Amino acid sequence: MQAEASAVLARHNVTVSGAGGRTMMFAHGFGCDQTMWQPVARNFERDFRVILFDYLGHGRSDLSAYSAERYCDLQAYADDVVTIGRALSLNDAVFVGHSVSAMIGALATLKAPGMFSDLVMVGPSPRYIDDAGYRGGFSREQVEELLEFLADNHLGWSAAMAPAIMGNTDRPELSERLENSFCSTDPEIARDFARVTFLSDNRSDLGSVAARTLVLQCTNDIIAPMEVGQFVHAAVPRSEYRLLQANGHCPNLSAPDEVTAAIRDFV
Amino acid sequence: MSISPDGRIVKANRTVAEWLGLEPAQLVGTPLHDIFSFGARIAFETHLAPLLRMQGHVHEIALDLVTSGGEKVPTIGNAAEKRDSEGRHLFTRLTLFKAVDRRTYERSLVEARARAEAESEAQRDAIALRDQFAAVLGHDLRNPLAATSAGIHLLDRTEQLSERGRAILDEMKGCIGRASTLVDDLLDLARGSFGGGFLVERNADAPLAPVLEQVVSEARSVSLGNAIDLRIDIEEPVYCDRGRIAQLAANLLANAVTHGNAEQPILLDASTDSDSFMLSVVNGGEPIPEEILGQLFQPFFRGAARPSRNGLGLGLFIASEIAKAHGGRLEVASSAEATRFTLTMPARKPSA
Repeated sequence: MQAEASAVLARHNVTVSGAGGRTMMFAHGFGCDQTMWQPVARNFERDFRVILFDYLGHGRSDLSAYSAERYCDLQAYADDVVTIGRALSLNDAVFVGHSVSAMIGALATLKAPGMFSDLVMVGPSPRYIDDAGYRGGFSREQVEELLEFLADNHLGWSAAMAPAIMGNTDRPELSERLENSFCSTDPEIARDFARVTFLSDNRSDLGSVAARTLVLQCTNDIIAPMEVGQFVHAAVPRSEYRLLQANGHCPNLSAPDEVTAAIRDFV
Repeated sequence: MSISPDGRIVKANRTVAEWLGLEPAQLVGTPLHDIFSFGARIAFETHLAPLLRMQGHVHEIALDLVTSGGEKVPTIGNAAEKRDSEGRHLFTRLTLFKAVDRRTYERSLVEARARAEAESEAQRDAIALRDQFAAVLGHDLRNPLAATSAGIHLLDRTEQLSERGRAILDEMKGCIGRASTLVDDLLDLARGSFGGGFLVERNADAPLAPVLEQVVSEARSVSLGNAIDLRIDIEEPVYCDRGRIAQLAANLLANAVTHGNAEQPILLDASTDSDSFMLSVVNGGEPIPEEILGQLFQPFFRGAARPSRNGLGLGLFIASEIAKAHGGRLEVASSAEATRFTLTMPARKPSA
């Protein structure tokens, strides 16, 4: 059991830091890895046990454990979250998910009630493609174009599955070599994850989410527009809604202090 | 181009404006997203922008621009954030190069890889099909062979036969024996490639010597010319799959009968020392040419110089797989004096 748990943690490059009675788990979205949460996560280390991890195929996870057949929908990603949660014996923890991970977190609360009592959804969208009476912000053609772009263009995604940031200030040529060393993603897995993400429709799951939920909406987010955040807030029973001043899709990077404050107020 | 922290173009040179069919002044104030294709826009927002924020620069990234007429312009580029002494983001400089040919080349590489993957999958499927075919064929041949064998047995025991009739019957017995061995080899091959290895069931429940004696007596009955000598000096019991060791010995003997000099006796020598079991089969005759020694244990290998008269070329392959499945090895040495195949394997059950 012990060995199995540590295998899970290694597979997802799980890092545990901080000290506190409660646990807060941060999950990255499409196109990135756990490093994107560091500017926010470090602010909670004083009073929370902080968990960061990479989905398979992202960051420094175990690429070989990935299978396109298995990861054909968001549920498979949610199952991995639950597996990590069990390996760490999580109870009444806080799950903070960015972008598609907001929905993955919602699915994880449904799969394992009691594991997460609080859910923070940063830039969530239960469906990206417009539908009758629903505006997700994307057309089907646009999603097809995105998938085609990702299939054709591997540049900039995989450059370095290299060892992380080296603190070699006296040998700058070493850090020079590590181009694009954050958020490295296997290009094929990135394309698969994009397909699963942007073709997902989890609107009908929102009503069953029992966790206390905070919806954090960004200003001018082309991935998750304003009305999508409001849709999520209206559909999730015990939810609060907060509009951030932060611009764009990644407030955890562009405005970590504002995101930290919003999460703190909520928990 | 220079981009403000809120994602708008603040400066653009004439080149990029010309690509897009605009004047530089028309680009100023435009959100950077607006000159990207949709795919590039999402890739930029979800992957490249966070990367830029975290490491301050991104190099060699692929981006598609869209002209005022809706045409795509493939580019590659570098981006770097300019920050002030306190680390505040002032602006981002984006340098793009038109890369139509390079991107076409990359796309063809991606396509070539997809094709290669599809081909190798098709090959895997073909191999699986071949194995299934071998398994089904082998299985279906067993029944008519068993019926023929039973018929021969009946004729042998109950019918009055002329001397010529008896000689023919003996020939037929030998043929059926060889055909059965071929079918068994075929089935082993199919199973071996299905499951990635031969199944052996090792135990030390019964002695091995009588099994080897039986193998030699059967080989004598079908061997036309050679004398076959047997030398056994083993400390029983040997921890092995006796049926499989018998198969290995039979294959080695059949090989010696087929390829050895009919005038010289064949020797099967089985022995043990403190922890190993050794079995060798020795025959005389022309040595095996050095260049084919290394290929003898490949499946379907048949010596070109002396084509096997009645085999698929599986016998030595299977013998070597049986040796491996017992944690041992099969080796060959060949000289003008003798050709010797030797199995060496652990004789006792490994202690846990």
